Amino acid sequence: MSLETEVEALRKVPLFRGIHETKLRLLAFISDRTEYPSGERLCTQGEEGDCAFIILAGNADVLVDTPDGEKRVAQVSENSIVGEIAILCDVPRTATLVAASKMDVLTVSKDDFLKLLKEFPDISLEVMRTLALRLERTTRDLAEARQGAAGG
Amino acid sequence: MEKSLFGFIWRYSARHQIYILLITVLTYPVVYFLLELPKLIVNDAVQGDGFPRIVFGFDFDQIPYLVLLCCIFLGLVVVSNGLKFYLNVYKGRLGESMLRRLRFELFQRVLRFRLPHFRKVSSGEIIPMITSEVEDVGGFIGEAFALPAYQGGMLLVQLGFIFMQDPLLGLAAVAAYPVQGYVIPMLQKKVIRLSRQRVKNIRVIADKVGESINGVAEIHANDAAAWHSADISDRLYENFKIRYEIFNRKFLIKFVNNFMNQLTPFFFYLIGGYLVIEGDLSMGALLAVIAAYKDLAGPWKELLSYYQMTADVGVKYQTVVENFDPIDIRETEQLTSDDAVVLDGDLTFENVSFSGGAAGQELLDVSLTVPAGTMSAVVGPDGSGRTELMQLAAGLVAPSSGKVKIGAHELDRLTDSTLGREIAYVGGAVHVWTGTIRDNLYYGLRHRPLTEPEREGEALKEYKRRVNEAKQTKNPLYDLEAEWEDLELAGVSDLSGLDYKALSLLEAVGLDNDIYRLGLQSRFDPSMNDEFAGEILRVRKTLAERIENEPALGGLVERWNLGTFNASASLAENLFFAVPSDPEITMDEVPELPEVKAFLADTGFDKELQNIGIKIAETMLELFSNVSGDSGLLGAYSFITQDELPEFDRIVRIAKSGQQRPGLTDADRTRLTALAFKLVPARHRLGVMTDDLRDDVIAARKKFLDTVVKSSESFVAFDPNVYLPPLTIEDNLLFGRARVDRRDARRRIDDVIRSIVEETGLRQAIIYAGGDYHVGVAGSKLSASQRRRIALVRGLLKNSKFTIIDDIATGMTEEDRALRASLKDVLSGKTYLYGTSNAEIASEFDHTVVLDQGRISEKG
Repeated sequence: MSLETEVEALRKVPLFRGIHETKLRLLAFISDRTEYPSGERLCTQGEEGDCAFIILAGNADVLVDTPDGEKRVAQVSENSIVGEIAILCDVPRTATLVAASKMDVLTVSKDDFLKLLKEFPDISLEVMRTLALRLERTTRDLAEARQGAAGG
Repeated sequence: MEKSLFGFIWRYSARHQIYILLITVLTYPVVYFLLELPKLIVNDAVQGDGFPRIVFGFDFDQIPYLVLLCCIFLGLVVVSNGLKFYLNVYKGRLGESMLRRLRFELFQRVLRFRLPHFRKVSSGEIIPMITSEVEDVGGFIGEAFALPAYQGGMLLVQLGFIFMQDPLLGLAAVAAYPVQGYVIPMLQKKVIRLSRQRVKNIRVIADKVGESINGVAEIHANDAAAWHSADISDRLYENFKIRYEIFNRKFLIKFVNNFMNQLTPFFFYLIGGYLVIEGDLSMGALLAVIAAYKDLAGPWKELLSYYQMTADVGVKYQTVVENFDPIDIRETEQLTSDDAVVLDGDLTFENVSFSGGAAGQELLDVSLTVPAGTMSAVVGPDGSGRTELMQLAAGLVAPSSGKVKIGAHELDRLTDSTLGREIAYVGGAVHVWTGTIRDNLYYGLRHRPLTEPEREGEALKEYKRRVNEAKQTKNPLYDLEAEWEDLELAGVSDLSGLDYKALSLLEAVGLDNDIYRLGLQSRFDPSMNDEFAGEILRVRKTLAERIENEPALGGLVERWNLGTFNASASLAENLFFAVPSDPEITMDEVPELPEVKAFLADTGFDKELQNIGIKIAETMLELFSNVSGDSGLLGAYSFITQDELPEFDRIVRIAKSGQQRPGLTDADRTRLTALAFKLVPARHRLGVMTDDLRDDVIAARKKFLDTVVKSSESFVAFDPNVYLPPLTIEDNLLFGRARVDRRDARRRIDDVIRSIVEETGLRQAIIYAGGDYHVGVAGSKLSASQRRRIALVRGLLKNSKFTIIDDIATGMTEEDRALRASLKDVLSGKTYLYGTSNAEIASEFDHTVVLDQGRISEKG
């Protein structure tokens, strides 16, 4: 497994779509490549988040604490980034991640990601655009949901 | 101490000085004959007639006579030079041993200073006094009496000769002496004054340099470098000025002297010429007198420079010695006495007053009884006299009036041999000695040498010589190589008992975990302790089994295995499957080792590694060339630093161009190889590790083991059944690498190691190994809290009946509370005095004394 394959994977992550390849290589290089066997926790809800995970292979279950114990609410799979909220703003982990299968993950630490953003403002722009798009969609979803609720 | 240099020399070396003088006198006739003989050879043997000559009743013809005289000449040359050689060695030796005596005396006086005196003197001043300033004294001592006697004698003989020729000419010869004798000391006096100034100025410089080193963080933190530079520069200018003045005077003295010396011939020619013309003096006599006068110049010059040296060295001696004679210096006995009194009973202060010389360092009329076997707190803010009270109770300082007693004994009258053993004192400002942790822990038990090592043959002879020299110079006869640890005092029967006791105290003060960690990270020499190495290997095996049986663990470690590639280890470790025996060798130096060079060339790996190096360098350049140096990305992740980037840029360009000239230098190739060596494939995923390369590396490591490791001592192979000295104990236990591509692998493996170590009882041994950790200069490699705890264990190990602890663990944190509680446990049944500025703590103790501005304001 080399940088090249990781860059390929990174390119498929929507957040990094518009970013130039050399910068993706740098991002890949400064990240830690880690392996998780099925069942191992990537992170736990409520703890301090200091890194984001980019899934190169395998799936992870997203679990949320409920009064009845942990409940699975979603699954994330290849080429998605999770935990990025934690590295952009200081909030505790909002969910628990558990490997559902053997996983290959790139771990980007918060400090390094922020350094990278500072170093290359076009990455910041790209991140901003993606987040803005997400916000726009969330707002629309919320509006629709409200309408639906009012109408129903 | 002798105030004057000559007093010192005469008192301690009179016998030697007289001996030197006698030998010197013995050389007179030898030198005289040596000068006479050539005349005899030329005039009598070569040009003479009327042979044979009768010598000691034998007849000698001309040639045999010549041979005889020449042989006598040769014999005299040998004798004269032999005497000179003997004399020089004797003088040098005398000088050195006198210097040793002087230096030791000075050091011992430093130890005899009372503590408050150290507020007035600084180490920066004292050190040059004992080391460099007295250095010249040594060279002078051998000459102190012999030189003036010898040269003075010469001068008198020559003068006598002149007087015998003609009293008037004799008077002319000495006419200038009174003037010289008056003018030169006048000038010299000024030089002496300047010399004193210079010595003092240099001391101040030394002190300021020392202070700058101690406070270097403050200098930078306050941007005060300019101020300090100006300060030192100013002092240096002062030094220059004084030195310049001294030169001026010194050469002026020379000038006056030379002038006077050459003025005398003026009188000779004038008076002598007049006498010859008048017919009162023969021409031959005048010439002889002038020749004799020329010979006067030599001794006169020597005497003059002797005079200058005497003045110079004498001043140095005085300026040093006057600093070592404070009025209140303690008796030597108090330091060296071996009598130890057993202290028992209550600790009492009877109307004690003390003044440390500044406000907030005084006690006023304090009366107090601390009943034996109780625990008392002395509460008072800093500046209330608390510290002074604690030091008085420990006998470290003496009261200005009143008495501090334990039982019937007044502490001020007792010697260190009692105070330092019967009382344990740990103050707020502890000192940790440069050395190992163990040295520091057992420091409190090293009072006197106890069992001397057995010596025989050469070692015994050498030891006797050492003792003899020490006796002659009034140095102590203590044997540094003896066992010093006073086991009896510590209440144990042997060294392992002491180790055990130290361990339990380390646990009591909560330092065991720290030292355990240091122990894990330390290296030890298995030849010192086979058993421990064996234990480590057993634990290694247990750990290996557990890793094998628990798949969850297995995924966290890559153990060393001859047949598989370890992706979490560097390429160098993979290729050699061994580590350099010297742990100080860095990866950058490995390619330079001759064995490695030969091996790489043999296997063709040199080219391969250089190519890998180029690929790595290229990737690094591509990734990081646009990154600014201050982002910190480069330092943390690349194996190339920002400063090295241009260098590697050049290397890569040359390599890519394929030009033979200028081509890569050997140093460039080494750098590339070192770069490749540092590659850890699982961390640096640069795609240079192909499967073929892996196989090649595994195949090559066998060759490396067969050729290099077997034949040379410089590498140690990874062998599961062998302890590897260059690795830390922890790495030896693990025998592999925590996987870099697993989250928290290192920490999780550490936990496993800790639990196995505890199960197998290896923990104590590892803490013991941690005892060999070197604490750095004055404990600089330890934290302040660790230093304090080490000082506590040092004090507790002494097992004294009286323990005085000041200003340690006075907080309300969980940690401080726990430490106080365990101190109380350890010290139960003993007299324990605890000083604190925190009044809340007082309730933890049997009795409380509250101090306020040097007076007791409350007792309870």
